[in-house]
Amino acid sequence: MVRTIKAGLAFTALAVAFLLQPPVHAEDNMKQDSMKQDDMKQDKMQDGKMMRDGKAKTLETGKFHGKVHVTSGRATVYQQADGKLVLRLTNFKTSNGPDVHVILVATMDAMDDANFLKDNVEKVELGKLKGNEGDQNYEIPVGTDLTKFWTVSIYCERFNANFGAAPLEKF
Amino acid sequence: MNTNTSSWLSRNKWILILMGIPILAGAWWTFRPEKLFIDQRVHEAAPAALSSEPEALYTGKLEGKLHQTSGRATIYKTADGKEYLRLSDFTTSNGPDVHVLLVRAEDQALDQEIVKGELDNVELGTLKGNQGDQNYDLPSSVDLNKYQAVAIYCERFHAIFGVAHMEKF
Repeated sequence: MVRTIKAGLAFTALAVAFLLQPPVHAEDNMKQDSMKQDDMKQDKMQDGKMMRDGKAKTLETGKFHGKVHVTSGRATVYQQADGKLVLRLTNFKTSNGPDVHVILVATMDAMDDANFLKDNVEKVELGKLKGNEGDQNYEIPVGTDLTKFWTVSIYCERFNANFGAAPLEKF
Repeated sequence: MNTNTSSWLSRNKWILILMGIPILAGAWWTFRPEKLFIDQRVHEAAPAALSSEPEALYTGKLEGKLHQTSGRATIYKTADGKEYLRLSDFTTSNGPDVHVLLVRAEDQALDQEIVKGELDNVELGTLKGNQGDQNYDLPSSVDLNKYQAVAIYCERFHAIFGVAHMEKF
């Protein structure tokens, strides 16, 4: 009898110990070539610019889709060391067209040929499309609320047509 | 009738041409049809502050298979040429003998939760933690054209906890 109780207790203790196993939490930092970073620090000092110590960060990324005007590539939002936000398009390709702009829109995604003007969608203008092919950067105005503007659109202002859109996701 | 029309046309030819030119010019300016054939290529460098950072090569979101798994898997290349996998915002269930593997994205075995038979993989190490950001060094010989998916894999039970199909960053 005592033996059974003991065995039962031991078993319960084991089960509790197993269940209470805390989740293992890892916290690796981004790797950095230490030499390189020293160089960078020196560069900064030589530039004589006061930079905030924060490193550049990748905040969001998403892939372009678009069939009416074939659009492909990736859109990524970076936060630079000085806090400025930059949108970068990579492996980017779309069709060339008149008066094409890069905008951020306050939607989760955008259909091909969506008309944001008619649909009264809030948008932030980032500038004219620099080229219909290749890697390119666009500054995001200070104070843009990225929790609201979730989609990058290649937008033809003249015809109010969305050439392609990239819904952004947290990186 | 026919002669009438042609004579009217010939009489007003110059007026029509003069009116037509601005219309054509306007239409050209609006539609810019030549742009369909002319590409404008740019190649800007990454934002300056990023150039010394490790470069992201591939990225993808983790999806749960046997256990709920979420987060992002990204393969980075450091300035000195070394490659590593980083899991960020990562959560999976804890378990025995869990490993991080690179697998072939098109592998049929990834459709199942329990792998029967061999899984073609590159071992990156035991899972450091079931939550949090973590890095795994890639063997220098690994062919990233072949292995473009990450699997969180329990070796003991051949169970796939989660998979991330990565795409070019």
